[in-house]
Amino acid sequence: MRDEKKYGMVIDLDKCTGCGACMVACMAENNVPFKEDESNKLDSITWMRVYKLTNEKPFPEADICYIPRPCMHCEADHGHSPCVSVCPATATDYSLRTGIVSQIYSRCIGCRYCMVACPYHARYFNWWDPVWPSDMEKYLSPNVSPRMRGVVEKCSFCFHRYQLAMDKAFLEKRRELKENEYQTACAQACPADAITFGDLNNPEHAVQQLVRPDRKNGGRTKHPRAFRLLERLGTNPKIYYLSSREWVRRAGDNYLKKENKTLSGRST
Amino acid sequence: MNINRRSFLSFVIGSAAGTTLSPLPWKMQDDSAIWSQNWPWVPVPKDGEANYTHSTCTLCSGHCGITIRKIDDRAVKIEGMKGHPVNDGGICILGLSGLQLLYGPSRVKTPLRREGKRGEGKWKKISWDTAISEVAYRLVELRSKGQSHTLGFISGSEQGTITALSKRFMTAYGSRNFLQTPSMDDSYAMVLNLMQGVDAQAGFDFENTDFVLSFGSGIIEGWGSPVRMFRANSHWRTNGGKVVQIEPRLSNTAAKSDKWIPINPGTEADLAFGLAHVIIKQSLYDRDFIDNHSSGFDHWKKRVLDEYHPGKVAKTTGIDNSTIISLARDFARRSRPLAICGKGQGKTPGSSGEFMAVHALNALVGSINRKGGVWAVPRPGYIDWPEVKMDKTAAKGLQQRRVDGAGDKKYPKSGSLLNRFFKMIHSKEISPIQALLVSDANPRYTLPDSKTIKEVFDKIPFVASFSSFMDETAANSDLILPNHIYLERYEDVPGVTGLQKPIVSLSRPVVKPQFNTKHVGDVIIGLAKQLGKGTADAFAWENYENCLEKTMGKMWKTLIEAGFWTDPNFKKPKWDKILDFSSGKFAFLNNNTSIDYQYRPVKLEGEPTSFPLTLIPYDSMRLANGFIGDPPFVIKTVEDTVLKKKDSFVEINPKTARAFSLSEGSYAVLTTLKGSARVRIHLFDGIMPGIVAIPSGLGHTAYDKFLSGKGVNVNELIGSVEDPVSGLNAAWGIRAKLNKT
Amino acid sequence: MDNALIPKEVKRCPFSQFIILLGPVVGVLLLGVFAMSLVWLKGLNQTNMNDAYGFAAWIWADLTVIALGGGAFFTGFLRYIIGKDELKNIINYAVLIGVICYSSALLILGIDIGQPLRGWFIFWHANVHSMLTEVAFCLTVYLGVLIIEFVPLIMENRQIDRVPFFHHLGHRMHEIMAVFAATGAYLSFFHQGSLGGVAGVLFGRPFAFREGVFIWPWTFFLFTWSAAAVGPCFTMLITRITEKITQKKLVKENVIQLLAKISGWMLTTYIIAKIIDTWYWAAVTAPSKGFTLMDFYSNNPLYGIWILVVEIVIFGVVPAAILIIEKGRRHPILFITAVVLAVLGVCLNRWVMVLQVMAVPVLPFEGWPMYFPSWQEIATTMIPVTYGIVFISLAYRYLPIFPQEQELNPMGQMGPGEQEKPSILSDRKLRSAET
Ligand SMILES: Nc1nc2c(c(=O)[nH]1)N[C@H]1C(S)=C(S)[C@@H](COP(=O)(O)OP(=O)(O)OC[C@H]3O[C@@H](n4cnc5c(=O)[nH]c(N)nc54)[C@H](O)[C@@H]3O)O[C@H]1N2
Ligand SMILES: Nc1nc2c(c(=O)[nH]1)N[C@H]1C(S)=C(S)[C@@H](COP(=O)(O)OP(=O)(O)OC[C@H]3O[C@@H](n4cnc5c(=O)[nH]c(N)nc54)[C@H](O)[C@@H]3O)O[C@H]1N2
Ligand code: SF4
Ligand code: SF4
Ligand code: SF4
Ligand code: SF4
Ligand code: SF4
Ligand SMILES: [Mo]
Repeated sequence: MRDEKKYGMVIDLDKCTGCGACMVACMAENNVPFKEDESNKLDSITWMRVYKLTNEKPFPEADICYIPRPCMHCEADHGHSPCVSVCPATATDYSLRTGIVSQIYSRCIGCRYCMVACPYHARYFNWWDPVWPSDMEKYLSPNVSPRMRGVVEKCSFCFHRYQLAMDKAFLEKRRELKENEYQTACAQACPADAITFGDLNNPEHAVQQLVRPDRKNGGRTKHPRAFRLLERLGTNPKIYYLSSREWVRRAGDNYLKKENKTLSGRST
Repeated sequence: MNINRRSFLSFVIGSAAGTTLSPLPWKMQDDSAIWSQNWPWVPVPKDGEANYTHSTCTLCSGHCGITIRKIDDRAVKIEGMKGHPVNDGGICILGLSGLQLLYGPSRVKTPLRREGKRGEGKWKKISWDTAISEVAYRLVELRSKGQSHTLGFISGSEQGTITALSKRFMTAYGSRNFLQTPSMDDSYAMVLNLMQGVDAQAGFDFENTDFVLSFGSGIIEGWGSPVRMFRANSHWRTNGGKVVQIEPRLSNTAAKSDKWIPINPGTEADLAFGLAHVIIKQSLYDRDFIDNHSSGFDHWKKRVLDEYHPGKVAKTTGIDNSTIISLARDFARRSRPLAICGKGQGKTPGSSGEFMAVHALNALVGSINRKGGVWAVPRPGYIDWPEVKMDKTAAKGLQQRRVDGAGDKKYPKSGSLLNRFFKMIHSKEISPIQALLVSDANPRYTLPDSKTIKEVFDKIPFVASFSSFMDETAANSDLILPNHIYLERYEDVPGVTGLQKPIVSLSRPVVKPQFNTKHVGDVIIGLAKQLGKGTADAFAWENYENCLEKTMGKMWKTLIEAGFWTDPNFKKPKWDKILDFSSGKFAFLNNNTSIDYQYRPVKLEGEPTSFPLTLIPYDSMRLANGFIGDPPFVIKTVEDTVLKKKDSFVEINPKTARAFSLSEGSYAVLTTLKGSARVRIHLFDGIMPGIVAIPSGLGHTAYDKFLSGKGVNVNELIGSVEDPVSGLNAAWGIRAKLNKT
Repeated sequence: MDNALIPKEVKRCPFSQFIILLGPVVGVLLLGVFAMSLVWLKGLNQTNMNDAYGFAAWIWADLTVIALGGGAFFTGFLRYIIGKDELKNIINYAVLIGVICYSSALLILGIDIGQPLRGWFIFWHANVHSMLTEVAFCLTVYLGVLIIEFVPLIMENRQIDRVPFFHHLGHRMHEIMAVFAATGAYLSFFHQGSLGGVAGVLFGRPFAFREGVFIWPWTFFLFTWSAAAVGPCFTMLITRITEKITQKKLVKENVIQLLAKISGWMLTTYIIAKIIDTWYWAAVTAPSKGFTLMDFYSNNPLYGIWILVVEIVIFGVVPAAILIIEKGRRHPILFITAVVLAVLGVCLNRWVMVLQVMAVPVLPFEGWPMYFPSWQEIATTMIPVTYGIVFISLAYRYLPIFPQEQELNPMGQMGPGEQEKPSILSDRKLRSAET
């Protein structure tokens, strides 16, 4: 299958500064709305959310680490991502061509079953009508439609950028994209260059070289610094994290006490 | 009517089929779907031609190159400019939000004159001609009374043609009271002046260093040029460079560093001397540099060896003897070590003693003017205007002393002392400043000891602001003459904080001005022309753009084409450029000045008995704390352990919490000598017991509903402490207490 | 005033009294309708749901109401398929309760979704992999079936029955009722199961996830089983309450006893299955995902292990034991205790499978979110209850719901004329004669 791509990310937590630029790059790119008070994080739309982890040790052994969390574009078995398989209206779908989990706002009926299904809290509901102070409507990008109240939205791997790049490639009579032709807004903005984006199936792409995912084995990696969030659930996420700290790597999944030689992290 | 089975079934099937086949239900369903997908109140962004403009971000002194994506004449996205020497495509959270400032609700849309009392929020829209004439009228009046020296000008920008125009205006008008907002840049400039004898900007060759010893500098919290520092930090992660972070709180920088060493705050200089002690004792210093390029070493060395034994330093700093010794060795044995200071984002200057101690540490290992070290970067010298021909009034006004005392006997090396400026006015019954112009600055919010600052403002009879936004200072002024924001105007942007190379970038209009605003350069030129011939002659340009283009000369073409200018031949400055003393040597101790800069720790305000805790501010990339308030996108990223609804959280160690019976999320009153505020508690294991850390950048009272009224402004709680050498503010905290409510 | 509508040979309270008693209930119902309108007009921001609690009080009410309405399908199944003929004396009421439960359930779904106008996308753009699709389809079709089962009863209203068309319509429908009942039972087995599947398939939520057979997780079967067990208990409970309020016996004891016995055995087998399921989940499924049982029940202010104990022992084993022992189910107090506990058990189970599923943190660095419904949610959740009361009152008043009512409450000394047209006066007389 020549066409089959599997776009994914490798996020180097040793480099990530927790600055939040990826969050805002995403909001600015994707017409994400905002409200007067966004301090209730349970109804604040952040396709990309940077979590702060702590190792729960006392001063001065305390340590913190930031972990940016876009949608994992879970593949599970044959694209049966937790969220995709449950959506009654087929408003979210797994593309076998790109590995991207889409979200069709105008199809979504807002039942929120997908949110219940997603263990990463990567999905957000529009509890409110999106409202921009009138002049601010000027900065809205025509490439991403603003969402109406009552539907779910989430990180799309900036799918419109893929479409624009593909359009351009077709005009130039090409069927393949170069690595730098399609990059997500967060990866592009990250001032620490912590995010690498590309095709996990393509040996020429940096993401593939960084983690060398095992295609036959749910994309598992043997890289000593790499881990994925909640790998044990079998969601086969396409976001890989790198950390040289053992406690950070363990904070990415759940372990039984007997497996747990070091402390796992909890957020503050 | 009798229904049999047959007619019953036909009835049921018939009616079902009839309804289904009629267009009604289908049409209604279709309509409902379409309608619910196109609610008229959800905007549909207009499509159009995509195009890109390069410019420079001036939201902080990082001065990143930016590329703005536009659809027709709408700017829709700001991105980092690829290939720019500062940020090469990267961009920070604030820079990304620039369009929310451009199109945001806190813009001042037209010149405004105050109606009612100051700060009441009642304004009258006026024309530009009226606005400029009103300022001119005030200034002419002062001049005619022989009080030109009572005009003050506070400017946020440090260099470039806008600053030069403002200064020139003040000279032609006849006042020396031109002030700039201070930062660690001023402290570093002071150090270079005292130890190297040059007027230069400190540059750090981070890209080539292999060991960074940071005395509380927020390398990834926004210190220096934020994006450049992020990139440097990532570079160290891959090439094995090490970072050791010294500060009392586990900041992001500390967490990302290779080693975090908590220290009793305020004792950083002691540690620097302690390290020097070990390095000298163990003969690990750079003999070549000491022998050939320095003076005063023996005297300095004696003092260090006598007074800063690691055992003693361990007591003051709270850091183990053995840690000090091994740190000193690690530092000195690296091939290209570099020590830096300037706490957090470096927006407050610091104690000169501390800065000098750290600089001396660099000298000790030879990290002055070498690869991976500290460089003195010459200030760009392209502004070459003819001298102002002063008229009599101006000449007389310029003989008066500056209100802040900068350049006088006490602080001969200082150029501008903003905190002292306010302190002096405060101490006088009648304000020595009768009119104040504020540009690119919001001192009413950003300066410590807010209460004093506000009282001073209330004392000054006339305040005009050039702010583009309804910030705290603008909201409390008499007249607002709104400037275009950086995305609507031309401006030369020289230098980048901490960069080791000279660079000049260009901000240019990305979109046409969105409102009835005017370039501050044009306003100044316009004002000058109304103040009489002498003043007008000094401003012989048609307008600002014309002035800029002429001033930039040959550089202009490059700036327009590439967006920035760098000197292709620039390498490291020559020794004679960075050491300007007659001796041509680096001065560990400087006999030419009468200043005894033996290090004296900054004494915090407040007595430990009544204020048992130490309050320190901390900085975050997610909270713009100066120049600009957090735009909605940025405030959205602030964690709910920092800001929840309208409450600020302070961080304390769980041990401290126990001592004061406080728990996670509980409310408390935080009190200092300067004021008190209701805060909530966040327990954090990464902070030294006894310390209370408060985020800076909250507590705005102006701007819009997205920012205003959220949290506490640390400046309401903190004061300023005059540095004995520079006169700049050297306070890094204040003593405090927490009472449960 | 409404005498002409009241079935023959039964007595009903005066109309004015009926209105006065029903008034407050209608008031609460109207408040619910107001809250519902607010939600439709202003959106789901009227609730206290959030991104961590995407399903909340309403979905709990939905699942609960459907389980409780399970009396309809299971009684129908017993009567029409198994052939327990006595149950014809309670089937009307079971169907009525079913109609109420299922119509409320669909209404709630219509309120709960963010885009009610697009609700039909579930059918139009159906995703066959989704349990919710299965739920929506079965629920809608089954409600249709229930209505068909209920319509003949409406036709039996005295006035309606007079119209020959309706008379014959009702008659014909009766004839084919077994087919509908069978279809209904079949559909119900599935959708009760799919509701269980809603939680059980969530492989991203170890608290809910269960292995199973083919596409069905164990919760699929547990939900069907528990609805079959508890649905009849709810029918019996409502019957008892109705009897208490109307102060008369409406269904013969042998009918109740039969249903109680069957429920008891269903509950017993269910609770055994539930215990095995819980054990396997705690010992095998959860640990394979890195969780111990106690991870699901600690570090939060509400969800403790007590929930599991209460659900299985107090709300499961205890009522099951009472109902399978003849002495227990014959003892009026024990009987009522058992059906109440069983009903509470299913309520708690559905709560846990909806709310706790979301509260349990899965990402190790997240905490437990807590939630309390807004008044709009509470008022809306009250709709099924108030609307149920109103519906039952109307149906009881005007329809011959209980075939045994006349027999159990003979209209003694009444003259034929008075029976035709009971007046307020005669009714009063009657009551004073009774007391
Ligand atoms: N995101 C963002 N970035 C910015 C800006 C912005 O507004 N937002 N502004 C830009 C500007 S204008 C500048 S000048 C830079 C400055 O940037 P930084 O140097 O990064 O900023 P500050 O906020 O001044 O850092 C203040 C820290 O210094 C500590 N401090 C106070 N007194 C002393 C002292 O005596 N000694 C020492 N060692 N530390 C002390 C305080 O505790 C505080 O943590 O930031 C630039 N970057
Ligand atoms: N507590 C505390 N105080 C500090 C600092 C600190 O870190 N903490 N930092 C110090 C430092 S380093 C600095 S540089 C100063 C900065 O402090 P100030 O310069 O006093 O304050 P800013 O908020 O930077 O003010 C910039 C003003 O320019 C306006 N503005 C924004 N964009 C434009 C524009 O394009 N054109 C014009 N004309 N105006 C614009 C803003 O609305 C604001 O009114 O604060 C100093 N004071
Ligand atoms: S932008 Fe980069 S460094 Fe900043 S939080 Fe996101 S991933 Fe981390
Ligand atoms: S992270 Fe969540 S939303 Fe994204 S694909 Fe996985 S389950 Fe779906
Ligand atoms: S909320 Fe929308 S996307 Fe999610 S399951 Fe429901 S219909 Fe599908
Ligand atoms: S990939 Fe695009 S949509 Fe996803 S988090 Fe990054 S910027 Fe947002
Ligand atoms: S670091 Fe400073 S200059 Fe660079 S983008 Fe951010 S605010 Fe603008
Ligand atoms: Mo600054």
